Order: sequence, then C-alpha cells, then structure tokens
Amino acid sequence: MLVLTRKLGESIAIDDHIKIRVVQIKGKQVRLGIEAPKETKIHREEVYLAIQDTNKESAATGPEKTRNISKMLKP
Amino acid sequence: MRFRCTENSPDFCLAVSVLLGCDPFVEGGLHVVIQTTRFGQVEIQDQDILLFSEGILGFAELHKFVLLDDPTDDIFAWLQSCDEPAIAFPVLEPELFAENYKVTLAKTDYEALKMTDLSKARLLCIVTIPDDPTQMTANLKAPVVINIPDRKARQCVLQDNHLAIREPIFAKLQQRVVQNPTQSIKSQSAALEVAVRIQNKNQPEAGL
Repeated sequence: MLVLTRKLGESIAIDDHIKIRVVQIKGKQVRLGIEAPKETKIHREEVYLAIQDTNKESAATGPEKTRNISKMLKP
Repeated sequence: MRFRCTENSPDFCLAVSVLLGCDPFVEGGLHVVIQTTRFGQVEIQDQDILLFSEGILGFAELHKFVLLDDPTDDIFAWLQSCDEPAIAFPVLEPELFAENYKVTLAKTDYEALKMTDLSKARLLCIVTIPDDPTQMTANLKAPVVINIPDRKARQCVLQDNHLAIREPIFAKLQQRVVQNPTQSIKSQSAALEVAVRIQNKNQPEAGL
C-alpha cells in the first residue's frame, strides 16, 4: 500500500481527474473532500462490506422459508 | 450447417457438432445439467446461463448463474450458481415493492454489461429473510442488472445514498397481495422470461 503524509488542506491526486483533500481533522476523525468525474463510484468501504454480508446471509436461505412466505402473505 | 441437439448429454451434442463441423451453440442449445442443493439436478440450456464476469459481492469466484423458477413458490425466483450447488439467492423484481425505484448506473456498470441504456435490462433485488420473515429485506442499493439479449449480469452498487441495503418489504408485498389477490406475485414479474422453470420430477414432462 502506498502511504502518504498530508497536512490539513493538502491533497493527493489520483489519475488526472481525481483529487482528495484533507478538509478537517478533529480528534480521531478526518474529513475528506473528493473531487472526481461523475462516473466514478465513491463509497465508504462499509457499504461494500454490508452488501457482502447481506449476500452471504441471503445465500443461506432454504427453499421452505420462501415457500412459507407466500402463505404468510395471504390475508 | 445447423442441427438441433435433442440428446441430453452435452458431451454427445458436442461430439455430434464436431463431427458435423458445425457450431454446437444452435437453436435449442446445449443441454447442461447443474447440481443444486435446494432443487436437485436441474437441466438448463447453455443460453440460460447468466454471466457475472466479476461475480457477486462476497462471491467473486462464481461467474455463472441461472435464474430458476420453483413452481411450488408463488413469490420468489432463485439466482442459482451453476458451479456451487449450495449458493442460490432468493430474488424479487423491485417493481413489486418499490414503485418509484429508479436506478442510475455508472459508466463502468454499462461497460461491464455491454449496454448503453436500460431498455433491454431487467433488475432483480437480492432478498434476505431472517428467522422472523416479517422482517425480510431487499437490497435496493445493489440490484442485479441483467442484459437480457447478451445474458450478461452484474450486481451494480448504486451511488444514490438514499437507497437501503436492507429495505423492509414484507408489508409492501402484503399490500400487493391484498390489492391483487387473484394474481400471484410471481406472475407479475417480467424478469421471469429468462428463468428456467424447475420440472416437477414426479410428473412426466409434456410431450414425452
């Protein structure tokens, strides 16, 4: 992993069109400002982890469980 | 030269097609038998296979899936891995529970799916069902998008921050059943056009 040291207000550039700036440092929290082309996907890593978790949970579903739901839904 | 393969063995079809010097991927397709822990052996055709070139999040190594229609289930379709018998996701079309659902795909999504717009796409949401099924949820943040003509598919993580990874859907589905009691939820799904209906093994197939 490439590790860089930046001060408040400084930034790094990724490729030609992506810029990440340190906007605020407060205790253990760092606020980052990101400039990137519209088509660049930017997510907190937790989003991907949460999607992986739900996918794994979903893949463990048995067929009886889904069949029972149609019975439960009937008024 | 074209021929239609009516034998069930993919090896046989391939052998005949090689002998005849023609493309085995003809109308009718190659029959493929996949193993599943939920539905036993399921016979599909090679053109039923949906190719996820990057896998599904958490299952990056699985690339081939097929959409299965379990005739004994009125609601869900199953996105079944062709390579891993135990891996299958219950899925629902978002139209069934999220009327105003609009997706904006990123350029990279369109490139991966080899599409320029959504006119020939179908969307499916992966559903998670906890022990209390009334708490079940669907993933609106990362729908599975299928390019229907090319059979390419991808779980696209959308940028829209208002979309939930776990959107509660039980009450919405219940509402739909109440409003339209005569029509099963599944029959209101357009994506099932690419699904393979699982044959009930106790009944002889029509035409045999």
